[in-house]
Amino acid sequence: MNLAEIRRARPLLGTLVEIAAHGPDAEAAVAAAFRAVEQVHALMSYHDPASDVSRLNREAAARTVTVHPWTWQVLHAAREFSLASDGLFDITVAPALTRLGYLPRHADFPRASSRADWRSIELLPRHQVRFACPLHIDLGGIAKGFAVDRAIEALQAGGVTSARVNAGGDLRRFGPERETVHVRHPQWPTLLLPVIELGEGAAATSASYFALHRSGGLPCSPHIHPRTGRSLAGDLSVTVLARDCMTADALTKVVLADRHAAGAVLERFGARALVIDRDNHTGAWRLRDSTPLRESHA
Amino acid sequence: MHKELIWLSLPALAAPALPAYAVQYLTLEQAQRALFPEAAAFRETRILLTAEQRAAIEKASRVRVRVPELNAWRVESAGKTLGWFLLDEVYGKHEFITYALALDYSGAVRGIEILDYRETHGGEVRNANWRAQFVGKRAGAPLELDNDIKNISGATLSCKHIADGVRRLLASYEAVLK
Repeated sequence: MNLAEIRRARPLLGTLVEIAAHGPDAEAAVAAAFRAVEQVHALMSYHDPASDVSRLNREAAARTVTVHPWTWQVLHAAREFSLASDGLFDITVAPALTRLGYLPRHADFPRASSRADWRSIELLPRHQVRFACPLHIDLGGIAKGFAVDRAIEALQAGGVTSARVNAGGDLRRFGPERETVHVRHPQWPTLLLPVIELGEGAAATSASYFALHRSGGLPCSPHIHPRTGRSLAGDLSVTVLARDCMTADALTKVVLADRHAAGAVLERFGARALVIDRDNHTGAWRLRDSTPLRESHA
Repeated sequence: MHKELIWLSLPALAAPALPAYAVQYLTLEQAQRALFPEAAAFRETRILLTAEQRAAIEKASRVRVRVPELNAWRVESAGKTLGWFLLDEVYGKHEFITYALALDYSGAVRGIEILDYRETHGGEVRNANWRAQFVGKRAGAPLELDNDIKNISGATLSCKHIADGVRRLLASYEAVLK
């Protein structure tokens, strides 16, 4: 049976979230998938004062805060990525993003300590969280991927035969077909480059082109190197392929921060990276691939 | 064990690079049905904004009113007003988005759906030499604009323009529909 594809888009998570599905009752499954994304948005938004993230930033340095199991799950995963990458992935870089104007200032958050890092977040039993010192977390580098995974879960529970979810470049699909994944060119973002065919699995891309600001006359991006606190800029695009989208999303930041150190981390999570960058000597654009996955992706 | 990445250089991409893309998610009628499944009628009311209304909307929303016209439908069921369906467009640096905002009878947001998304063509194709290096053999399905471009990974545009548009429409509702 060849049913028409249901394809919808809504503005969520600060981007355009597109969900598409084939199969019986796809309409209802897509609606359920959007509800899952909306819930992640409500829990993990840095902007929303009522989110778990804002409650933590406001209160967790003073007292233990109980969060939704999904928030706890993301915080736990973030810790795994920080541990595996020796801090190249770090959700406590929010103050730097606020300084650069990527995140709003919340007057009621206590001032973040300059020695805070991912180790200052204590994950306690029964979904409780406490900060060892005042700090601001931002789940922008991981929650979109998590939202995509929850949407995929909802689509699978809804019985569709194939589906894909794309949250501003964090995408995941399942189903019998394979589809080409396109990546934007770092210098000409409206130019789309086909880079890989994906069957089941996730791809996430991080690049600075659309979000580029200028700070003190210099271009900067919302990608902060956790060890230097500096913004990473440059014509570079990093795509990570992994089984789930949260892993792909988080690991793009590790590859952006340090391509050489990222090898071990990618391998540990069974992931693969594709980088588009410019050759320093010739100026030519090139597409490069890390060691392929052991289990084939496509 | 510290393992360096072996960065294999890929000789060429599988297909030529494509400029931009466009997609229609919903037609006007489909969007109306999706946002108000229980509606009996949509009564179109095209409203020309006066200079005073424009100024009031700009002041309240802090967003410029480019088009002095409001595309609104009064949504009815069993003779009662269920709410309003507003159709709007926003333009960004690279994109053009048509979206619909559904308001309930009290003016509260009931939902937002994207109808059309289209990327504008910038100066993206100017570097012929660069493009030439990607032209090679292609694998798999034909890549047609508007049709096969489904998986775009990477920094899609922020939805700031839609957020601004919604603020402008809410201010328009206050100024002329309420």
